[in-house]
Amino acid sequence: MGPLLRTVELFYDVLSPYSWLGFEVLCRYQNIWNINLQLRPSLIGGIMKDSGNKPPALLPRKGQYMANDIKLLRHHFQIPIQFPKDFFAVIIEKGSLSAMRFLTAVSLEHPEMLEKVSRELWMRVWSRAAEKAGMSAEQAQGLLEKISTPKVKNQLKETTEAACRYGAFGLPITVAHVDGQTHMIFGSDRMELLAYLLGEKWMGPVPPAVNARL
Amino acid sequence: MGPLLRTVELFYDVLSPYSWLGFEVLCRYQNIWNINLQLRPSLIGGIMKDSGNKPPALLPRKGQYMANDIKLLRHHFQIPIQFPKDFFAVIIEKGSLSAMRFLTAVSLEHPEMLEKVSRELWMRVWSRDEDITEPQSILAAAEKAGMSAEQAQGLLEKISTPKVKNQLKETTEAACRYGAFGLPITVAHVDGQTHMIFGSDRMELLAYLLGKREVDGPCASSGECQTLRLPGGSKLFV
Repeated sequence: MGPLLRTVELFYDVLSPYSWLGFEVLCRYQNIWNINLQLRPSLIGGIMKDSGNKPPALLPRKGQYMANDIKLLRHHFQIPIQFPKDFFAVIIEKGSLSAMRFLTAVSLEHPEMLEKVSRELWMRVWSRAAEKAGMSAEQAQGLLEKISTPKVKNQLKETTEAACRYGAFGLPITVAHVDGQTHMIFGSDRMELLAYLLGEKWMGPVPPAVNARL
Repeated sequence: MGPLLRTVELFYDVLSPYSWLGFEVLCRYQNIWNINLQLRPSLIGGIMKDSGNKPPALLPRKGQYMANDIKLLRHHFQIPIQFPKDFFAVIIEKGSLSAMRFLTAVSLEHPEMLEKVSRELWMRVWSRDEDITEPQSILAAAEKAGMSAEQAQGLLEKISTPKVKNQLKETTEAACRYGAFGLPITVAHVDGQTHMIFGSDRMELLAYLLGKREVDGPCASSGECQTLRLPGGSKLFV
């Protein structure tokens, strides 16, 4: 809790529901805790491939558990998250390559928009229809044109590889740089442990200083 | 937060490190929250088989993550947990069948001892890297928990009886029916609803479901835990 700003990286994919939960909690706490939150758009498919892991929902009982879990966490986290009607088509088959390339382009050219655009993409996949993120049509179009450029493709690849080097076997991962040490934390259910490592106070997923209106 | 006591079941296997963490947290909170904690010794191997799942540590990066995770949680939860030197031999190969049958016998005949004996078995395998498969190992744990040698020996003789074998099988199947694909699972019965929560990292969600707004973290106190304090007041220094 000293004056030193600690860097906390969040590697995420909008395809990942728990990434959304971790994202919102960290966004809520970035102005409460003494941290510099760095958002890192990554490709969960790439991490699965590199680690030899598989999406948990492919195991029936895990899929069932996730569906119930998300229903409960919606209320506990105050995030309007709900399973898409055709989960397998949306998540497993369609994937998120263009969306994550788009967010990579945003991170390169308009990083100040990254939080809002990420949120709107989650809203599209994991909630109701998107609202405007405040980006002008020209800005958005310009970025869309960039998603197939080598620069953007490579950046997404590099960020995904960085997550793998931190030991990721899925997403989200939160990487906290504290007192010369690096801690990688998997999932959205370890925020209290993160607080402990940062020497900060954990006040639950909806801290009082934030008016969570989503 | 009403006067009604809510039943919270914990299905666990001493082979499972996260089961130990969940167990200690619930034991700490059972006298703080208005809950009736029911311990359910189960067989994680049986749950894996029935659900088609595999031990996470079999994936190298998950195994590596678990090793680091347990190191951090040791301090955060104030539980003297550490990886056995030969994780695969101890956890994957040797297993916990006799130990869990013994705990099943304890649950049937001396349920008031179940918490302490469970803890002593975890202390053997997940703290001091000691065996839990040999009869002498199980007897040592039972005696450390406060059982007389005669009591412990009597229970040990029952672990191969159909009654005990079937009870363990039934408890494991009950966990599967709740949707378990691993352990620990915590099953909370609240307001006519049943919630199954997997893992030891959802206690805040459990508190939320029980209607608790104040959760004081895994140490269940408003101050910092400076020394390891186990329920019952005994201290452990690490």
